[in-house]
Amino acid sequence: MSKALLQFLALAGCFFALWYSLSRFDFVKKFHVEEVTREEEHKLGDVVLEAACSGHEEIRSDTVLDCLNSIKHRLCAANGIADSTIKIHLIKDDDINAFSLPDNHLLIYSGLIDYCKSPEELAGVMAHEIGHIEAKHVMKKLVKDVGLAMLATLAGGQAGGEIARQVAQTLSSTAFDREQESEADAAAVHILAKANIDPRCLADFLFRLSQEKADMPKSFELISDHPNSKDRSAEILELRKKEHYAAQQVLNDDEWKTLKGDAESVDLPR
Amino acid sequence: MAFSYSPDEYESERASNSYLMSMVAIMAGLPLPIVNLLATAIFYFGNRKASTFVRWHCTQALLIQALTLVMNAAGLYWTLSIIFGDNTITNGYISYLITIVSFNIIEFIATIYTAMQTRKGKHVEWWFFGTLTNEIMGSLVR
Repeated sequence: MSKALLQFLALAGCFFALWYSLSRFDFVKKFHVEEVTREEEHKLGDVVLEAACSGHEEIRSDTVLDCLNSIKHRLCAANGIADSTIKIHLIKDDDINAFSLPDNHLLIYSGLIDYCKSPEELAGVMAHEIGHIEAKHVMKKLVKDVGLAMLATLAGGQAGGEIARQVAQTLSSTAFDREQESEADAAAVHILAKANIDPRCLADFLFRLSQEKADMPKSFELISDHPNSKDRSAEILELRKKEHYAAQQVLNDDEWKTLKGDAESVDLPR
Repeated sequence: MAFSYSPDEYESERASNSYLMSMVAIMAGLPLPIVNLLATAIFYFGNRKASTFVRWHCTQALLIQALTLVMNAAGLYWTLSIIFGDNTITNGYISYLITIVSFNIIEFIATIYTAMQTRKGKHVEWWFFGTLTNEIMGSLVR
């Protein structure tokens, strides 16, 4: 064997030996990597939430929030998700929209609740957003669209309010990429089925939305052109065939009527 | 081991510059590992008809940057996969970063030393890279 090859093997051996030796140390624990990451996302979530809610009324009615949280709890409990980590906020706005923010905040507009024909459709939309949260799409999207350095500045409180508003605007009005939307739809189907809710509700909602609200801004995630809502609806129906569930009602009629009725009015803060 | 002849001032300067090419990226403030290699490669191809001393050191410098590129590119790819992909920060990742930073620091110090010595007309052979350069160019050492 040539001298150069032997020396190369020795050099590579030193490299991998050093790497292996260092990897025995628990740097993640020592540098509190997970805590720092969670803390940064928590700070970012607070800043962006404040910007997203500015100029809007947040509905804090116990009755309404209890209904929404019961849906959330049913979806999360059936899928082994800690539902206390997902925080729901109901915003008084006529737009048909729902989106996630950093630190697992889930914003739902009252216009969406008004548009839903059944609590199952609402559960479908919530399952889709929980799919994005669980797959950590929100932070990935922000890193790509806004940049890591800007996010760090925002979390550190050093950026102006305008940046936070732009970030909130990005999350509320632009769709994820095709792969992430498909991933969230697939996750939603699975989450719904495990919670014994017919995933058809989400497909029907998306299809109806694309037909009835064709003039709605296409940049909204729910009715994005990319991917096409009709294709998404068809894909959801295909994925549904692979799931097993025994469909049960999400909310009874009284609870649903109360939810829809109260969501239309702005209540005083708790 | 001495080189087969004593290089003149001009040759020493050119040979020394081949190592300084690898500093280009740092001086330009660029984070991409390939810039070092490109600068060294351009210098190498620009000196293909130069004297043996110059060509030898250009070759050694190029080989050093080629291996450094592989090491650093893997680190860059891993980092991007954490930021934009599904990977998370692990002990393996942190230890890899420490390893490549250590190797880069050693390479940086050794490159500066080699550039200084070569500028004085002294021949410096690196372990492995010098051996490989000799095998590529044929032995020129008595």
